[in-house]
Amino acid sequence: MIQIQDLIKAYNKEIVLNIPELNIEKGEIFGLVGNNGAGKTTMFNLVLDLITASKGQVISKGINVRESEDWKDFTGAFIDETFLIGYLTAEEYFGFIAGLRKMSKTETADFIAGFADFFNGEITGKKKFIRDFSKGNQKKVGIVAALMGKPEVIVLDEPFANLDPSSQYKLRKLIKDFAAQNGTTFLISDHTLENIADVSTRLIILEKGKIVRDVPKTETTLQEIEAFFRPVVEADIY
Amino acid sequence: MNSNLFSLAWRETTRSAYWGKSIATNIGLGFLAVYFAVSFLLLGLAIPEILTKKFSEAEAVSKLNSILLAYFAIDLIMRQLLQKLPTVSFKPLLLQNIRRPQIANYLMVRSVLNFFNLLPFFLFLPVTILLVGNSHSGLATTSWFLSVFILVFSNHFLAIYLKWRFNEAEYGFFILLAGLAGLFAINHFGIVDLSGGLGKLLDLILIYPALAIVLIILPVLIYFLNVRFLLSRMFVNLVSEKQKAEKVSDYSWLNNLGETGRFIALDLRLIWRNKRPRSTAMMTLIMFLYGFMIYRDQPGKELPEFVFIMGGIILVGMFSISYGQFFPAWHSNYFSMLMCQRLKMKQFLLSFYMLVTVVSVACYFITLPYALMHTKVIYTHLAMLLYNLGINIPIIFFIGLYSKKRLDLNGSSVMNYQGVGASQWLGGLPLMIGPIGLFYLFQLGFGTVGGYIGLGLMGLIGILFHSVIIEYFAKLYLKKKHELIKNYKNS
Repeated sequence: MIQIQDLIKAYNKEIVLNIPELNIEKGEIFGLVGNNGAGKTTMFNLVLDLITASKGQVISKGINVRESEDWKDFTGAFIDETFLIGYLTAEEYFGFIAGLRKMSKTETADFIAGFADFFNGEITGKKKFIRDFSKGNQKKVGIVAALMGKPEVIVLDEPFANLDPSSQYKLRKLIKDFAAQNGTTFLISDHTLENIADVSTRLIILEKGKIVRDVPKTETTLQEIEAFFRPVVEADIY
Repeated sequence: MNSNLFSLAWRETTRSAYWGKSIATNIGLGFLAVYFAVSFLLLGLAIPEILTKKFSEAEAVSKLNSILLAYFAIDLIMRQLLQKLPTVSFKPLLLQNIRRPQIANYLMVRSVLNFFNLLPFFLFLPVTILLVGNSHSGLATTSWFLSVFILVFSNHFLAIYLKWRFNEAEYGFFILLAGLAGLFAINHFGIVDLSGGLGKLLDLILIYPALAIVLIILPVLIYFLNVRFLLSRMFVNLVSEKQKAEKVSDYSWLNNLGETGRFIALDLRLIWRNKRPRSTAMMTLIMFLYGFMIYRDQPGKELPEFVFIMGGIILVGMFSISYGQFFPAWHSNYFSMLMCQRLKMKQFLLSFYMLVTVVSVACYFITLPYALMHTKVIYTHLAMLLYNLGINIPIIFFIGLYSKKRLDLNGSSVMNYQGVGASQWLGGLPLMIGPIGLFYLFQLGFGTVGGYIGLGLMGLIGILFHSVIIEYFAKLYLKKKHELIKNYKNS
């Protein structure tokens, strides 16, 4: 589905991302973990053509994202709150995105109604602008908007951050169900290893812009990546 | 501690992506500053001559004193429109070991460093030396000079206080205008002789110089009024207030207009629900009255043609200029989201074009009654309407390609006064000066009416080719999108 070839992003000769080759298959839930500054958001921004690569390319379903805009037809994304339009209500925002994704009014209403449990009664039906929402509720709006129109590729940067514990569980299930039903390819990053290990079918660890682990998920994946991130000092004590 | 805050402010300006890149703005502001300084200096040199022609020197001073109040009133209005408020992003400071009064005092001290407080020196220094000093003792002259400057700074603090208030309630400015008009009427019809009162006070100071000390109470009082206001607002909850239910108006009928309608609906919501674009739109309404000012007949004199071009461009095109000069930065907050959607750049530009067209045409008809003052307004405004839509909007698109600064739309928070200074007006200058220059060029060849036809024809050509032009700019915008995203992120 997505091929990354010779991708390098450098700022003032300092390389922040260097991926010689990476293929993400259709239907994969691709989990990306790494410490701050590892290059997760940089990689997503490159996939979405929000920044330019210093070298190399991203091919999404055969389309070089740098050269054509057609990838937008099958891609949804939520990177951060700058993806939201603060002066709209949640419904208006969904309506705006739905219009761009060619969804009819009833389709939109049905789609949004499907997330009632996730929204927990705090998002829709409020006469409140998104800018006045709490961080967690803003995130929920952004995530659901990214799912609208059932795109084939969905990019979510740290979707679990700022969500309350029960919403985190709901989101895990939501992503897995959505992928199972629609065969969606998800690209997800997060810092909570448990969440990411649970939803992903394939896990990648980025460190200083390089891929240091690339494993399909198994029973032991969580322990493996936890071991990777645990400071060495701690291991010495035991 | 205060010096710490000053260095913070310095870094905030120098490290934003905006700094140094908008040389045009800085040159424009510099030019205006020099222009005003020179005009004030010349005025300051001229006043003594004019007054001593009619009056004896002692009388001249007291005549001057009696009209100073008018100067301060005009000064107050100009400050409202042009002076920038000092700002600090106080939120990160609140948790530090800095007392709130310190932040407030810092803001007030920083506000004093303003061109508007330097400008009066150019006016009053020559007046003091050439007029007051000639007929009065050194001590009296000094205390007169001091008194005037105490009043200047009182006006400064008053202007800031009002501006802070008006920032919370937009209609405030109109109340001020109404209030000043009321005072003018009271004064003019001799009910209370206000300006004479101030004049007598200043006359008295010339006789008893020590009285100047009493005046100091005025700025000190207003200063503390300011500090009190700031202290009451320096809380985080007031920044993100407004949790109450919002009035949500429905624009869904616009969706029937298809893709373009959807963006126009977004634009309308943007204007209606955010303070900054809303006041921009309000400006258009105020500007309708501008015609009374410039189209006023001067006995025995024909109005020069550039007045009609200026009038046309301001009355018909004010919205496109004031709203357009920040295109596409109005959408800067969520620009990267838009760039991830399957929207066509062309539609994005086209919807702006349609919005401006509708508003400009409406403005043409609203301002048509000025034809009662000058019949030619019918065709001068029409020429400017066409020029505005055909030529100025492509220029706006071009300027927009180089937009650097992210706009903070939620301007209703207390400490956000982005873009309420003189530089806000600068962007519009080329859009206004351009047609005037072109007109005189056409006039040379084809006469006055030919000049207007020339402008109108240029506009008409632009309108006929608007889809080609928009297509062209859509390509350019797509090429520049990474740069725009980067700039908006860093500012």
